[in-house]
Amino acid sequence: MKNEKCSGISRRSFLKLGAGAAAAGGLSLPGRLDAAQTGKLATLIDLSLCDGCKDRDIPACVSACKANARGRIPEPVDPIPDPWPRKTVEDWSKKQDVADRLTPYNYIYVHEAKIDGQTLYVPRRCMHCDNPACATICPFSANNKRPVGAVVIDSDLCFGGAKCKDVCPWEIPQRQSGVGIYLKVLPGFMGNGVMYKCDLCIDRLNAGKNPACIEACPRKAMLIGPREDIEKIADERARAMNGFIYGRNENGGTSTLYVSPVSFDRIHATMEKKPGRPDMKPNVERRMAKTDAYGKAVLASPVLGLAAAGALGWYSRRRKPAKEGGNND
Amino acid sequence: MTEKILADKNRVVRHSALELFEHWAIALSGLVLLLTGIFELPVAKRYYIVTVPGLGWTADFITSLYLHYAAAIVFSGVALFHVVYHLLLGEKGLWPKRGDMAASVQVIKSFLGFGKEPPMNKYLPEQRLAYVGMAVIILMLIVSGLVKTYKNIYAPDLSWTVVLWATWVHNIGFVLFFLAFIAHIAAIVLKPNRPMVRGIFTGKVRLDYARHRHALWVAGLEEARASVAMSQERQKRDAATDEMTEESVASGPDAEDDALRNSPAAPADQAEAAEKSPKD
Ligand code: SF4
Ligand code: SF4
Ligand code: SF4
Repeated sequence: MKNEKCSGISRRSFLKLGAGAAAAGGLSLPGRLDAAQTGKLATLIDLSLCDGCKDRDIPACVSACKANARGRIPEPVDPIPDPWPRKTVEDWSKKQDVADRLTPYNYIYVHEAKIDGQTLYVPRRCMHCDNPACATICPFSANNKRPVGAVVIDSDLCFGGAKCKDVCPWEIPQRQSGVGIYLKVLPGFMGNGVMYKCDLCIDRLNAGKNPACIEACPRKAMLIGPREDIEKIADERARAMNGFIYGRNENGGTSTLYVSPVSFDRIHATMEKKPGRPDMKPNVERRMAKTDAYGKAVLASPVLGLAAAGALGWYSRRRKPAKEGGNND
Repeated sequence: MTEKILADKNRVVRHSALELFEHWAIALSGLVLLLTGIFELPVAKRYYIVTVPGLGWTADFITSLYLHYAAAIVFSGVALFHVVYHLLLGEKGLWPKRGDMAASVQVIKSFLGFGKEPPMNKYLPEQRLAYVGMAVIILMLIVSGLVKTYKNIYAPDLSWTVVLWATWVHNIGFVLFFLAFIAHIAAIVLKPNRPMVRGIFTGKVRLDYARHRHALWVAGLEEARASVAMSQERQKRDAATDEMTEESVASGPDAEDDALRNSPAAPADQAEAAEKSPKD
């Protein structure tokens, strides 16, 4: 069976991953010759298999994720300091059970898309993008993309400014105020908590285990494995069901591939973008991509400066050879 | 050499047009970098900067990134140019010298009314020290900025250790750059330093000021001028007429220099008049 084949792949990949992650954790030498072994991972979410766990109060993936994350967020200080001057405080600590949207205590939820009298269940979480602005322009690099592909926010370094949420096309990261390093710096003026989101269960991955949600799914609607394998499976399944893929081009490419028998235009149409409830716009652009040309010019600018100095310096020296020996000061 | 005494105008040329360009390119792009760097922090919404008419863009981190990159092209290009170009020409007037620490303490004391300034060169000892300080800060910012830029474009999963180093060197460099900028402005507001301000706009400072405060520099210039005059005198005697014509075309400003050399040093009242003339 296909599913078994896939979990076989993922198990094998984790043997390799263990070694790669150890190397990465030990500040391995630059050069990434371990890239092949570390392996970029990807996940697949097959909407033809997910049934939303209608037989349960909370979908298995959601409750497994919650269980895995329990205790991660310390008790917020009381009272939570008012940020100045805009007094936005986001406190989810009394609503930890909320399971139908993203919150600092809930990193995955299942959207119900009613299309033509049928319901499609769409688990939503961070896409772990290939070039995630949420990580690359985090002012403190608290948010960081790991070599396996997981995009992880370090809750010890995050100030909760929510920049990551602003630059994420799906506004995935969610803030809990009253916790984190900002309390120790200038709580009234800088920072406002810590941002939380799915981290692809990076600790479990490093321990050679699968993400909790993937392991818990009774329908095996979600898979994880080496990226090429997941891409291949996604293509095969999409072809077999004459379906569609989401996540390959969105936001410049992601490591989460949705496969669906229904087009994502139609799924997107059932979604209303609200806090904690992302939509699913096909081909949503990676806005930072357009700045890349400028960035490349930045990388070239020291070389250009050097060349100009060399050329002009050479010219001036030739022109005024006799004038040296004067006062340089 | 651009440095030149214009006695009849009571001016000394302190900076070439190229040096002025370097300074202002770094200063203006640095200012843009400072501001857009601030807007890379999530401050625009929180501090209601977005509500200021014309500043709506400040909440958009991608817009700020465009501007930050654009200014960085100028900043790092000109900074590299500056260092390498002046090294090639052997111009080291801004390099710290032995004893600058002690001398700068003496200068600062004199500001407060204790003692006299030591005789100074083209740059004050604290200018040389500040220059090195600024150079180190700018180097920190450029190197870390280049790493961050490379990461943004080519390697979002660059080693986290490297990324954290680059980020914090950049952030600390930002704070230091900001402080250095304020210190720079504070220094030119100080009364004894004010005559230098003209120099960074026009390239020239007052000769009487320079004689009084940068005595070593002016003395050196006069000495050099004398020796050049002597050697040219000799050349003139030896060279054929047509060659001489060529020479004076090739180095136009020197002709002016010659003329000046023959004029007597400007008396004080004449200098005053020149100071008030709207010529520059
Ligand atoms: S992905 Fe699996 S666990 Fe989650 S709702 Fe769908 S069937 Fe249930
Ligand atoms: S989905 Fe959003 S939060 Fe997740 S990696 Fe992409 S940009 Fe970042
Ligand atoms: S990968 Fe882990 S953190 Fe992310 S949704 Fe699944 S269980 Fe939650």
